[in-house]
Amino acid sequence: MNYIIDGLFQAIQLLINGDGETYSAVYASIRVSVYSMIVSLFIGIPAGFLMGHHDFLWKKHIRTITDTLMSLPTVLVGLLVYAFLTNRGPLGEYGFLFTLEGIAIGQAILALPIVIALTATAVESMDYKLKVTLVSLGASRRQVLFSTLWEARYGILAASMNAFGRVLTEVGIAMMVGGNIKWHTRTITTAIALETNKGEFVTGVALGIVLMAIAFIVNFSLSFLRNRS
Amino acid sequence: MNTPTYHLTEIKKFYNSNRAVYIEDLSIPESSITGLVGPNGSGKSTLLNMLAFIDRPSEGTILFKGQKAEPYSDIVRFRVSLLAQEPYLLKRSVYENVAYGLKLRGGNPSRYPEQVNESLALVGLSPREFSNRPWYGLSGGEAQRVALAARLVLKPEVLILDEPTASVDADSAGRIMDCAMMASKEWGTTLIIASHDWKWLHEICGNVLQMFKGKIIGNSMENIIFGPWNQNANRFWEKELEDGQRIRVPAPPSPSSAAIIQHGSISLTSQSPILMKYEHSLHGVIAQLSLEPSTNAVMVSIRAGSQTFMLRISQDEARETAISPGQKMYISYPLSAVTWY
Repeated sequence: MNYIIDGLFQAIQLLINGDGETYSAVYASIRVSVYSMIVSLFIGIPAGFLMGHHDFLWKKHIRTITDTLMSLPTVLVGLLVYAFLTNRGPLGEYGFLFTLEGIAIGQAILALPIVIALTATAVESMDYKLKVTLVSLGASRRQVLFSTLWEARYGILAASMNAFGRVLTEVGIAMMVGGNIKWHTRTITTAIALETNKGEFVTGVALGIVLMAIAFIVNFSLSFLRNRS
Repeated sequence: MNTPTYHLTEIKKFYNSNRAVYIEDLSIPESSITGLVGPNGSGKSTLLNMLAFIDRPSEGTILFKGQKAEPYSDIVRFRVSLLAQEPYLLKRSVYENVAYGLKLRGGNPSRYPEQVNESLALVGLSPREFSNRPWYGLSGGEAQRVALAARLVLKPEVLILDEPTASVDADSAGRIMDCAMMASKEWGTTLIIASHDWKWLHEICGNVLQMFKGKIIGNSMENIIFGPWNQNANRFWEKELEDGQRIRVPAPPSPSSAAIIQHGSISLTSQSPILMKYEHSLHGVIAQLSLEPSTNAVMVSIRAGSQTFMLRISQDEARETAISPGQKMYISYPLSAVTWY
């Protein structure tokens, strides 16, 4: 038990003392999470809206596939992205392998089905009466779209938080695509895996606590904003 | 003659392969009040959604003031508004809900508070008390009144009310009825109202349309009697009511068909059934009486078992028979007056 308590104290020490290696991992984690969330939200929210709001051919099948992809194994995504980004792969020429951008691509693929499926659920759960109300008050197609997204904002926020949680805590993609390179592509999760392998449990616990703290801060801030609105 | 507000020709609406509505030809004049009655599932809401340009018909055209109109088209977007049976308020304050339509139309934002306050006052809600309330802090009746205020603030040319008083308290229902009439009188708004409150509709409407199975079957309250029909030992087709009486009809197209007996074919008397005008008679109790201003006739509702029959008699006839609610009366009708759907 002592190493958990020691880990807590060490986490505080690492952060207070401005430990460069820890901050590098924190910075890398936040950077790839932000990149991947921007991409997945940018694509996922409109796609989720379309899936939740419109009827089209094969919708049910596409929905089933999207729901299934929500539980994509991170190592599988890592493997596929690695295969595409490696020198011999179709995107090898862009040099994204072992970069934060490469990890972000994989994490965006991981987050995208979550954002699409949960946004579609949030929009679907909006009553048909919402559309009736908006149109009968004179809304145009575009205004119906934006007002529906605004009405579904809590559901979309939940989708984003869910995806962020998955992205921040995944280790398979960051390890395989990023390569866990110190000062470069080492994220908090890959650092924890490494420290644990080395038998440095206390450092691993310290980094785990930092990871939890980031997740708490993000979730708490979003909850605060939600309650204020 | 003025161009009617609506002219519907050969309108059909399908859900999957089921036909929900079929209107051959219907005109609704400007500034008129049109009522729509019919049992649940008869297609009233589907028709109203098409008239409000929320849904488009599967086939046929709707002309709005002589021009072909569709959902979101500029001809109708700011001119027609619909109030649904169960109000949906946006997840915003009461003020924001009422001002939403105004903001869509542009105009002068500095006038919004005054317009919203006026509209809230019209529906009997104190602006000071309600403006800042969130959408979840309202009772069902208050929410319906806020929804109506959001429509009235727009002063629409056409206001469509889909069973507006069905799920609200008596006070809210009265307010909603008064506001609808005010819109008609003050602004010349064309009103189209679907309601089960036939008494109210006959009081205010110039024309009451009855819908059944997606079609308009008449211009008033026709008596719809649902099957199943059984053939008795004497080979007459009948349906037994809860009180043991039997409604007799001619041979139906199928045992589950719905029979329609036009109210003009039903004869009413307080005398013995032997003196009845037609071969088949039933007894029942007068449930409601009301005056129909457009015809000056008295609308009589008679309850026999669980079946309600509607008929229209002249005021003189009402005086002569001295009928009153609760009184036992006899009705009869010729079997030839029964039609089938």
